[in-house]
Amino acid sequence: MIEIILAGGIAVGTVLLLPSFGELVTERAGITNLSVEGSMLAGALTAFIVAKTTGNYAFGFLAGAFAGMLVAAVFASAVVFARANQLATGLICWFLSLGITSVIGNSYNGQAIHQLRQIDIPGLSSIPFFGNIFFQHDVVVYFGYVAIAATAWLLYKTKTGLIIRGTGERRAVVDVSGHRSSLVQFAAVLAGGLLSGVGGAYLSIGQVGNWASDMTNGYGFIVVAIVAFSGWRVSLTALGSYLFGMSISAASVLQAQGIAVNQYLLDSLPYIITLVALILASRTNSRQPEGLADSLSM
Amino acid sequence: MKQGQVSTLNDKKRHTRIVASVVIPLISICIALGCFVAFALAQGTSLEGLYAALYYGVLANPNFLTQTMTRSVPLICAALAVIVPARSGLVNVGGEGQLIIGAVAGTGVAVSMGDAGVGIIGIIIVLLSGALAGGAWGYLCAVLKTAFHAPETVSTLLANFIAADIMLYLLYSPWKDPDGSGQPQSKPIAADLRITTVAGLPIAFIIVIVIAMAVWALLNKSRWGFAARVVGSNPVAAFRGGLSVSRYAHSAMLLGGALAGLGGALNVLGAEGQLRPGLTTTFGFIAFLAAFIAGTSIWKGVMYSIVAAAVLVGSNPLQLRAGLDGNASYVLLGVTCLAIVVISRKTGRAS
Amino acid sequence: MGNSDVPALDVKGLSISFGTIRANDDVNFHVKHGEIHALLGENGAGKSTLVKMLYGVYHPDSGRISVDGNTVDISSPSVARQLGIGLVFQDMRLIPALKVWENIALFLPDTPALLEKEQIVTRISEISARWKLEVDPMATVDDLSIGEWQRVELLKVLLQGAKILILDEPTSVLTPDEVESLFAVIRRLQQAGTAIIIITHKMREVREIADNVTVLRKGKVVMDDVPVSSISDEELIEAMVGHSVSSEHRDSRANYQARPILELAKINVQRPDGTIGLADVSLRVYPGEVLGIAGISGNGQEELADVLSGYARPESGDIVLADKGESGADAGGFASKGITCIPSDPIRQMVVPGLDIASHVALWEHATNPHARGYDVSGAGKRIQKHAAEVGLRIPPSNRILSQLSGGNIQRVILSFAIALAEKCIIASYPTRGLDVGTTADTRRALLAVRERGCAVVLISEDIDEILEMSDRVIVLGNGRIRGCLSGSEMTRSSIGRLMAEEETEQHEARAGEHVE
Repeated sequence: MIEIILAGGIAVGTVLLLPSFGELVTERAGITNLSVEGSMLAGALTAFIVAKTTGNYAFGFLAGAFAGMLVAAVFASAVVFARANQLATGLICWFLSLGITSVIGNSYNGQAIHQLRQIDIPGLSSIPFFGNIFFQHDVVVYFGYVAIAATAWLLYKTKTGLIIRGTGERRAVVDVSGHRSSLVQFAAVLAGGLLSGVGGAYLSIGQVGNWASDMTNGYGFIVVAIVAFSGWRVSLTALGSYLFGMSISAASVLQAQGIAVNQYLLDSLPYIITLVALILASRTNSRQPEGLADSLSM
Repeated sequence: MKQGQVSTLNDKKRHTRIVASVVIPLISICIALGCFVAFALAQGTSLEGLYAALYYGVLANPNFLTQTMTRSVPLICAALAVIVPARSGLVNVGGEGQLIIGAVAGTGVAVSMGDAGVGIIGIIIVLLSGALAGGAWGYLCAVLKTAFHAPETVSTLLANFIAADIMLYLLYSPWKDPDGSGQPQSKPIAADLRITTVAGLPIAFIIVIVIAMAVWALLNKSRWGFAARVVGSNPVAAFRGGLSVSRYAHSAMLLGGALAGLGGALNVLGAEGQLRPGLTTTFGFIAFLAAFIAGTSIWKGVMYSIVAAAVLVGSNPLQLRAGLDGNASYVLLGVTCLAIVVISRKTGRAS
Repeated sequence: MGNSDVPALDVKGLSISFGTIRANDDVNFHVKHGEIHALLGENGAGKSTLVKMLYGVYHPDSGRISVDGNTVDISSPSVARQLGIGLVFQDMRLIPALKVWENIALFLPDTPALLEKEQIVTRISEISARWKLEVDPMATVDDLSIGEWQRVELLKVLLQGAKILILDEPTSVLTPDEVESLFAVIRRLQQAGTAIIIITHKMREVREIADNVTVLRKGKVVMDDVPVSSISDEELIEAMVGHSVSSEHRDSRANYQARPILELAKINVQRPDGTIGLADVSLRVYPGEVLGIAGISGNGQEELADVLSGYARPESGDIVLADKGESGADAGGFASKGITCIPSDPIRQMVVPGLDIASHVALWEHATNPHARGYDVSGAGKRIQKHAAEVGLRIPPSNRILSQLSGGNIQRVILSFAIALAEKCIIASYPTRGLDVGTTADTRRALLAVRERGCAVVLISEDIDEILEMSDRVIVLGNGRIRGCLSGSEMTRSSIGRLMAEEETEQHEARAGEHVE
């Protein structure tokens, strides 16, 4: 059962991991995007519709990524170029996305689609215990592994990453150094939206296999919290995402085992864990990017 | 050394303020309406359908005003729950959860009273328990902030989902009405605990307006209000001026949560008569946006909440008459708020 | 190096206005290769505006800038850099969270898309060895001393290959030691043919380092390209200020026979990041005295002011107030004990946005008397006007919003109520920093006036001249410790400077110790 929970946790965790890394890049550039939830919803529905009508999952994911980016583009235009309040704009974009996906997705409610095919990595998947947990998944989980490495590489080994980190700390310095910090922020938000869209797509066509209104159910907000209590670090963001995946998968496995715990109490578990994690994280002296200081204020 | 940049803003001229607070929102709403109509048409709705929805929702609806007032009760309360903590510098995005917890506590107390016939005293007890529960729910996040530095924006946001799950748990298991034909809902509340109307005006609405006046007086005329404002505007200056920052943060969040909790209980006693899932769906968030746009002004907050309620009531028939999903009103509210926040971003900020 | 007869930088008739204010009016000056040119002027004389035009941040309304004889249009800082103009900002433009090499890589336009750390670090090391600018490229900027920050700024500019170097108030935050080593670097650069412009308001520095000087006053050039050797100090001051100011001789009101108003015994304060704020600090403040606290800011001044005014609780040690033992660290501090404070950053620490002057005063009166029932706003508004008039400070009407006033007005208001409410002592941190000459004189006079009622003044300042002019005794603070206490004839610029320098060497030793570990 442990193996099932852990393996399930990696898979469910990927739904959170991709948006988390999107949000990590966004926040490293000094913007907090609360509409991750909206991007995930948009990605989930769009991917479902495209995958359902074309029968092609790759198209589904591409469309989901694009939809997530579209929501982010609305957010970014308001926040980066009009300097609108990030907290309010984030909530509004989530709202918009919730409304639009509910309306458009109305006729798709309850339709099903088969889930993604599992690909076992030759060799690695036969490692006892770990092979089961890490290397017997579908392609998106592996994409998640790549995303971790790619984000770390981007942030710490490239000039682009350096500019992103600088922008998140002190935009003015980046501007006098001859870079356009607002473009950097815009691009970072779009990248975040793209990954959130893929995360949402993975939820609908990869994990659940159907579409339901408001199916992300606050995952996007947990993502924002994960990035915060991970101290804006790549390793902890990855760890946090998978741990949350495990708490969610543990809940469903326990239920499948017929252990009588109320579903809604289990549903609240991730939020409670997130709150506790936030409290524990306050004891470590992780440093928030300076540019984020006022991003969640009115 | 690393000195803070000091920017002194010029005094804004009065007429630009009027433009910002009246004309710009109006233009924004027109643009937003245009976007919404375009979206609805793209969804295959006809203009006739939209007009029919508008006609039956507003013009031919004899109860439009009453319904709007009733709907605005939880919205106004949740908006006040944003404005009061905002004065002392806290961001409360937890109005939703505080409404829910208030409704849950109020329902719990009301149902347990059964048909005891306690009347007005019973109502007061129910409302107080709602306020108390909502206040405690908000207070928790204030303590997490002052004791553990957990950002209250995130913690209040997460607390919403926990509150919703608590409500769902109760409605699906222990509180489920055995006579509710399998629906997840609580037992109906005794008739003598319900708050009705007087001369066509919902009493709950009157109560809320009176409370808003009291809150206005508290914020603007009392010593507590003055101190809370100092704490919110500059905590360092407040500390140096002899004010305990955490004390005001705690009391403001307690009061804010209590206002939202009261709204939840009022909504159950006034409009719903029982607890159902989805009864407050997103009211807390809509109220947050209304309060945000109001920029900590109580009267604007009340006004925008009423407008939002009118939009919700008016767009009710969209589903039936125009064939759009019930959530379509979020699109309408969303575009409107986005337009207002972007265009008048300076006026939307807390003073 | 170009023809030595053609100026490296030539400015003709440069003017710029902001609204109705003419910040620069027909400014002319030129610098040759291998020349150190000082731009001297008071705060607000238009020096920074001029620099920003030279660096492409502002665009002049009229006038002409030539580099090596060619008229140029400096439309942005990057154009300025391409022309070989390098600027070391006053408010160091570094990102504290990043490492030194990262800050430099961010700044250099030729940094490759894939960061090659070793290559960048090597380049930095070469340049820093060449000009003897010692910096560890791998250090995080946040951990550097202010002198090291400046060296990083210089490195950034030198790596760009700047031929014209502009230094904006480069010495304002440095210890005498650091100033010396900076000047040494500047001289090496001069010998290599760099044209150097130093912006300063310190006459002594002009004398020490510059070849020629241009003096600005109220946006206009009042003294144009004069060799420093040909001009007297008095002439320079006259040009700068418009009229010569003589430092007032004053007599002492200190009463060292009385019981001290405030006494610190073996106070230790730790900063939140674990470093030492104050170590073993003991001092006494007597009625009627002005106790100067000298030293480079960041050496415990902030912590000392907070402990003295009751806003911070020390880890160990005693604070003794005249009547009873106190530990401090409550909201309001010692305000209720008659001790008020002018914080180092009044706008951040005392000004509540949107509140009028009267409400601020009411808040503060309430802090001095917490048992009062409420806030008497209208009475407070009248009282503050009366107090301000008494000490000779002009302040705006009490119904004006404090946060919307100019820095000088805010300072005068805060000073007025700090003075009005002080019964025993005022803790004044940098009370004249950033003020114009007139306000500075008003401020100093008002502070000295409180001594008449037996009130003491603790004056924390970086300006040695101010300390010397005002104080009865001087304590030099360094690295959180008291380096020495001077009074009477021991109080000289050089003795204070020596104590400050002593602290520097100790810091270096401490660092060396860290490396060994």
